Amino acid sequence: MIKLDRRAFLKGAGASGAACAFSGGLPGSIAAMGAEPLKGSATAVNSMCEMCSTRCPISARVVDGKTVFIEGNKAAKSFGGKVCARGGAGHSLLYDPQRIVKPLKRVGERGEGKWQEISWEQAYAEIAEKMQQIKQQHGAESVVFSSKSGSEHGYVFDLAKAYGSPNTFTHFSLCPGAYGVAAQVMFGTKVKRDLGNSKYIINFGHNLYEGINMSETRGLMKAQMEKSAKLVVFDPRFSVVASKADEWYPVKPGSDIAIALALNHVLIADNLYDKAFVERYVAGFEQFAAQMRDYTPEWAASLTDVSAKDIRRIAHELAKAAPHAVVDFGHRNTFTPEEFELRRAIYAANVLIGNFERKGGIYAGKKAKTYNKFAGADVAPSLAKPGVKIPSPTAERIDTYDKQFSLVASMGGVYQSILDTFETGKPYPIHGWIMARTNPMQTMTDRARIEKVLKGLDLVVACDLYISETAAYADYMLPESTYLERDEEIADKSGKNPAYYVRQQVVEVIGDTKPAWQIFRELGIKLGYQDYYPWDDIHTLQLAQVHKDYALLKRIKTEGYVSFGKPLMLREPKMVADFTAEFATAIAADDDGSYGSHLKFKTPSGKIELYSDTVEALVAGRGNIVFRDVTLKQPDELYFIQGKVAVHTNGATHNVPMLANLMSDNAVWIHPKTAAARGIADGDKIRLTSSAGSEEGKALVTKGIRPDTVFAYMGFGSKNRELTRATGKGIHCGNLLPHQTAPISGMCVHTTGVKLEKA
Amino acid sequence: MNKRYVMVHDENKCIGCQACNVACRTENDVPDGVARLQVRVEGPFGEMPNLHYSYARISCQQCEDAACIKVCPTGAAYRNDDGIITINKDKCVGCQYCVAACTYKVRFMNPVTRVADKCNFCTDTRLKRGEQPACVTVCPTNALVFGDANDASSEVAQIIATRATYRDKVHLGAEPRVYRIPAKKGGIAS
Repeated sequence: MIKLDRRAFLKGAGASGAACAFSGGLPGSIAAMGAEPLKGSATAVNSMCEMCSTRCPISARVVDGKTVFIEGNKAAKSFGGKVCARGGAGHSLLYDPQRIVKPLKRVGERGEGKWQEISWEQAYAEIAEKMQQIKQQHGAESVVFSSKSGSEHGYVFDLAKAYGSPNTFTHFSLCPGAYGVAAQVMFGTKVKRDLGNSKYIINFGHNLYEGINMSETRGLMKAQMEKSAKLVVFDPRFSVVASKADEWYPVKPGSDIAIALALNHVLIADNLYDKAFVERYVAGFEQFAAQMRDYTPEWAASLTDVSAKDIRRIAHELAKAAPHAVVDFGHRNTFTPEEFELRRAIYAANVLIGNFERKGGIYAGKKAKTYNKFAGADVAPSLAKPGVKIPSPTAERIDTYDKQFSLVASMGGVYQSILDTFETGKPYPIHGWIMARTNPMQTMTDRARIEKVLKGLDLVVACDLYISETAAYADYMLPESTYLERDEEIADKSGKNPAYYVRQQVVEVIGDTKPAWQIFRELGIKLGYQDYYPWDDIHTLQLAQVHKDYALLKRIKTEGYVSFGKPLMLREPKMVADFTAEFATAIAADDDGSYGSHLKFKTPSGKIELYSDTVEALVAGRGNIVFRDVTLKQPDELYFIQGKVAVHTNGATHNVPMLANLMSDNAVWIHPKTAAARGIADGDKIRLTSSAGSEEGKALVTKGIRPDTVFAYMGFGSKNRELTRATGKGIHCGNLLPHQTAPISGMCVHTTGVKLEKA
Repeated sequence: MNKRYVMVHDENKCIGCQACNVACRTENDVPDGVARLQVRVEGPFGEMPNLHYSYARISCQQCEDAACIKVCPTGAAYRNDDGIITINKDKCVGCQYCVAACTYKVRFMNPVTRVADKCNFCTDTRLKRGEQPACVTVCPTNALVFGDANDASSEVAQIIATRATYRDKVHLGAEPRVYRIPAKKGGIAS
């Protein structure tokens, strides 16, 4: 351990100017508080990134007492020892003078920006008192809890359960949810894609070269460069992934579903589908096929602006490359109210080409329990789930008040139902909101409505690193230690074979911050739930996770990422052969060399369900995959769509010094024709107005967007004063998007109509 | 001096994500407002739907015939034992002749140290520790390859020998050591 001087570090991080400007400004910030000299490890510590939700395995070390150099952990092969711009800039967040390192209490009106530094003890005592009060007066269920998914949500949701509230929400319905719900309905489990081994990839706006998921981004590039895979991209915008594609189609926003349905039509009508696979593993094919009959490429062409000839040819090419081909089911599933049907239609095309558990197709993750069953021995250790079972709250969840969302409720919930329920008081009124590392003001829609809700509650608590746009409306701001300052429990990172990794502390904690597990444990104990928190620290918990296997724990901590066995895909004969050769006790392969007879699906029928009775029972007419026309904009409006950029993460990184320096604004993409018609030139000030709000920004006149569409990278244009580097820069997407929830999947729809004018 | 360190930038693999830029800033303590290394994504060029972007690495080209060395009055700009052009901070008087003379406009005055600065392939930081340059280490898509082109078995030597590459502004005669694999428009070169 070496001693670091904070001043030298701040200087090294290029933040010295900001430190001066902010000195004494924002209460509770590093600039205002000062900090003890830092200590960090000069030798590399293997850990886990947290600059986005992918959580790549990283290796970080302090260099020359000045910076933390972060790279990928080379032991994690599919991640290649690589890290993106966000991951590499993590240290600039760590030492940011604007970061909050002392608990804060609101002293002005909510959102007014007046704060007072308080002790943790005072924060816990006052929050606990208020929570008890609300519980007595209105019931525990009237306090909702939300958190970004990952390590945090477990701690926050345990507290919710102990307190007695069933209302817990993750980022699920604001971003990736629909593909999860669709997979659950069709396959009975989540599925993964094997992009790296694919020979033909159809992509509906899954921009993996900007919304970087290291393993998948590398897989896609590997497929393109090493396997000569063909990549076909449908996206209204010329994204980076579109620019690297063999074919790019500027599809009409929200109409992707028509193409996905037409692909299914052609696969069936032209007899290109894998009949043996369908017969063996699929239920509901007849209903599905009958429904697909009308969805011809000619029909799709009229809706999408993609020619029938191209759609038909692409379907044939896909079938020809099968089973080592994939129709990518995407990530940010917020394009249309018909997300559930879109993602099911995409999965259906994968099912028809029989790519399940085949190289280059889709597959289910192999955690230790499953893997060991095939190996006939404990070749991979299982993690224990230590802890005290907290009784489940009996009150009904607010999002299942509308029964169609019961599938989402068990997966992450319909986040935006917090706002609906606040307004309607149904099934019961809401009085408090406790959140951790979540920023709905950026990631949800209708910013004005969120502001109104936050201002109307009895208690708002935010745990975060900065006073985020949402945290600005909190009564209490609880500063969490960054990921570089904390240890956490071991996490499962299994893919085709079991793997584990762990987050470990790289530098000593700056200021008076704490890791989330400690914050919510201590608050829980203050509330009187000490029986639910049997361990004092994370190391005890880690040891319990590995069943007290000290050697295993040491190995995971030293190597940072440990994988067991060989990759296994159940219907890939070569992989099954390698697997049975490796493990003498392994289950014998079938006659065809695969484990096909062991393929089971946790659906009611035990098969892949192209038609779902479960869904039909929730909403009549939704059991089958059906096209429904939706209105996403008015005739005199332009489509407004958003996407991710490689240097920022949704609502989280726009104030991080190094990343703010790289990009602090989101100019609005406008087609030259559209701009000319309104007298707009590149760089001009423009105004976008929707039914939800109005935003002023800058024009980026570019041929890389459809004439009927405008585009902006999301997460910019914060409106609270505390995020000095991000506030007022660029347009705020959430202020333009009206509130709309997609049926079944509960997705928060992110496409709408806007009027564009020169400002 | 029998080493010839070169950098190869595959513009097919480059996604303009700036991971290289960030890693370089961190490793080499590059202040805000200036950059040793950037990837500029420009375009789109062409007409819809046949558009393309260019992905260009902007950094010191490590010229074999380097104007910066020639014009430096104090010897602060010099070629290191490993052949890499670097800067002796103690000798730099801040005259900016090198900044003006640079064929590729990639030299700048460091606002903190007040001396000339630029990419030196991490020679004094990572190379000294036996590691690859920061940008190469982190590049998500393996778009960068670094090594000694004089070693026929090296990956860079093999790439230069077998792949179509180009270098920027060769007509100016500086003999740059950054090689680029041109992007195949509309797709990825195999």
